[in-house]
Amino acid sequence: MTSELYLLGFGPEGWGPVLARAGLMTLAVSLSAFLLGTVLGTLTVWGRVSGNPVTRRIAETYVVVLRGIPDLLVIFLFYFGGRQVVSLVGTALGFEGPFDISGFVAGMLAIGLISGAGQSEVLRGAYQAVPKGTLEAGRVVGMSRWQLFRRVTAPQAMVTAIPGMGNQWQSVIKESALVSVTGLVETMRQVSIAAGTTQEHFLFYTAAAVIYLIITTLSDQVFRMLERRSMAGYAGGSH
Amino acid sequence: MTNNLPAVSVKGLHKSFGSHEVLKGIDLAAHDGDVISLIGASGSGKSTLLRCIPMLEIPNSGSISVGEAHITPRDGKLSRADERTARAIRRDLGFVFQNFNLWPHRTVLQNVVEAPMIVQRRNKAECRDEAMALLEKVGLSDKADAWPNQLSGGQQQRVAIARALAQKPRALLFDEPTSALDPELVGEVLKVMRDLADEGRTMIIVTHEMGFAREVSSRTIFLHQGLVEEDGTPEQVFGNAHSERCRAFLSGYFDRA
Amino acid sequence: MDTVYLLDLFKKLLGGLPLTLNLAVFALLGGFAIALLLNLLRTTRIGNAVAGTYIFFFRGTPLLVQLFMIYFGLAQFEFVRSSFLWPLLREPYWCGLIALMLNDAAYTAEILRGGLRAVPRGAQEAARVSGMSRLQILRRVTLPIAVRQALPAYSNEIISMLKSTALVSMISLMDVTGIAREAVAETWRAVEIFLCAGLIYLVLSLIITRATSWAERALSPWQFGARQ
Repeated sequence: MTSELYLLGFGPEGWGPVLARAGLMTLAVSLSAFLLGTVLGTLTVWGRVSGNPVTRRIAETYVVVLRGIPDLLVIFLFYFGGRQVVSLVGTALGFEGPFDISGFVAGMLAIGLISGAGQSEVLRGAYQAVPKGTLEAGRVVGMSRWQLFRRVTAPQAMVTAIPGMGNQWQSVIKESALVSVTGLVETMRQVSIAAGTTQEHFLFYTAAAVIYLIITTLSDQVFRMLERRSMAGYAGGSH
Repeated sequence: MTNNLPAVSVKGLHKSFGSHEVLKGIDLAAHDGDVISLIGASGSGKSTLLRCIPMLEIPNSGSISVGEAHITPRDGKLSRADERTARAIRRDLGFVFQNFNLWPHRTVLQNVVEAPMIVQRRNKAECRDEAMALLEKVGLSDKADAWPNQLSGGQQQRVAIARALAQKPRALLFDEPTSALDPELVGEVLKVMRDLADEGRTMIIVTHEMGFAREVSSRTIFLHQGLVEEDGTPEQVFGNAHSERCRAFLSGYFDRA
Repeated sequence: MDTVYLLDLFKKLLGGLPLTLNLAVFALLGGFAIALLLNLLRTTRIGNAVAGTYIFFFRGTPLLVQLFMIYFGLAQFEFVRSSFLWPLLREPYWCGLIALMLNDAAYTAEILRGGLRAVPRGAQEAARVSGMSRLQILRRVTLPIAVRQALPAYSNEIISMLKSTALVSMISLMDVTGIAREAVAETWRAVEIFLCAGLIYLVLSLIITRATSWAERALSPWQFGARQ
């Protein structure tokens, strides 16, 4: 196997450049899905704590359903189902097929939706950990609801949420490998292509493992740094 | 059991944590029926001394005997044979912790029967009857089926005392048994301890309750920086201590009270 | 959407349920055993490094990569094909089960470790001072408390394993998801089929949630203030 290592390099026969590009695609799809998840997660928390029974019901159902269905099925649903819906709408509008939906969009939507459920749990925990006294202190000085959220709740909740959000991000990276089923050329798909072409399956899947380990480890470092930074001013922080 | 052999004997005990020497050569002997109070400022080494007896802390040098069992650890380590002796010593002692340390996953009764049943492998029904009698004695027979976290601190500590008694120990060791309690709960625990002393139990008590120490103990030992500074009857130590430090320490207490 | 079609579809999908459950149950059992082993390893320095590396690898990479490494990767080596393991490693079922098991072990090991950390030191000290042996302390005090502390996190892991079994459809196994994919390939009614399959998993995970929260209450009444 060592003799085949040149296959991973950046030489004429090396798969290095395409793998690097695929790694970036993994990051791109993960990042957009994670951000979508943050928006959905925040909305879900709001839906659960706002006091409106209807929104609470919707938010709770969303979380339960997405936590109970395999990620792979959600991606299939969005990719193939999305195609079905687009065809239906397209035909109804009088366009000629064939219709398609991009793997990137389907993957981002599916993983964003999955991650939103997970992130809402983290964010809810962080929201509940905000000391009620600080909210009262804000109310006493006459802050509006939006001001309270922006100036008091959010900054405090963000600090508590960082480790949990780090875990959610790690999950998103790993889930992004499933988007390969849509044909989107991210790490997993690219590695499968390379493994099939060269018949060096073990080499290339090990390379994939290394790429994911690099991404997860570096992200872990970033989140740790964020955690340290944000702890400044709290017990144990500087001064 | 020979009466001239001490129930608990400690000789030349040294204990360091890292470079900090906490005990600098302690001798102590408790005969059957003795009630010994260990007093001293925090950091004087009195809790460490007590924890060394059942080898919760392993001394760097010196020896410990409980009845016939004798152990001489070297360099803060126990050999395999020492380990067996240590277990024999622990079986013969009852230990009461500052923070009670009841097993949270067992009911009050289960806490009390655990050691006799599992360690001493005695008959289950017999252990149960004895445990109920002990709970009665500490005034908690109605709580036998409660969980530890449903009890007040004072009640938990009384269960812990019953648990220690269930081992039928040669001596009872108390490590600041009332320090973690709210002031209004201290009395109920001290009352149980006073009853035990009246029964003639052998007890070694690390305490900050000076009134209790003066009243109940047969001997009081004042520790200072890892050494015995004063050792005598409570009348001597509290009334007429040789050591200047001991007098200063006690006056600090009684002035506040 | 007609009911006859849906009923037929459900019947067909449920045909994959035994395989899905089989994989989830055995992966969890095997994973738990390996996780215990990993935590025992942690007591020595070299063992700690081995366990740490194992957990780092399996938690840091996607399950799909691990599955393909075992299913496609190992088959390429002559020594694997001539070894006694080949009859197993040639079967998609065993490759899937091994991948799930190894993956689950890494997560379960961390959950167990958290549970062990949550055991109060004082409770262990009280056991020591009553004369219990190391094994007795482990059996009577440490493990019961640790397992019960770890239960909430472990119930999430059970659900997560159930969901992960869907990946074996990628190596041609006919579990619920595998059957759904085949049905989609034949009929192209993706939305109905995948929703029905999703519903099956959803019901299973709701049952697991119920069962584990019941188990939590039954096993740790002291945390809920119940009397025996």
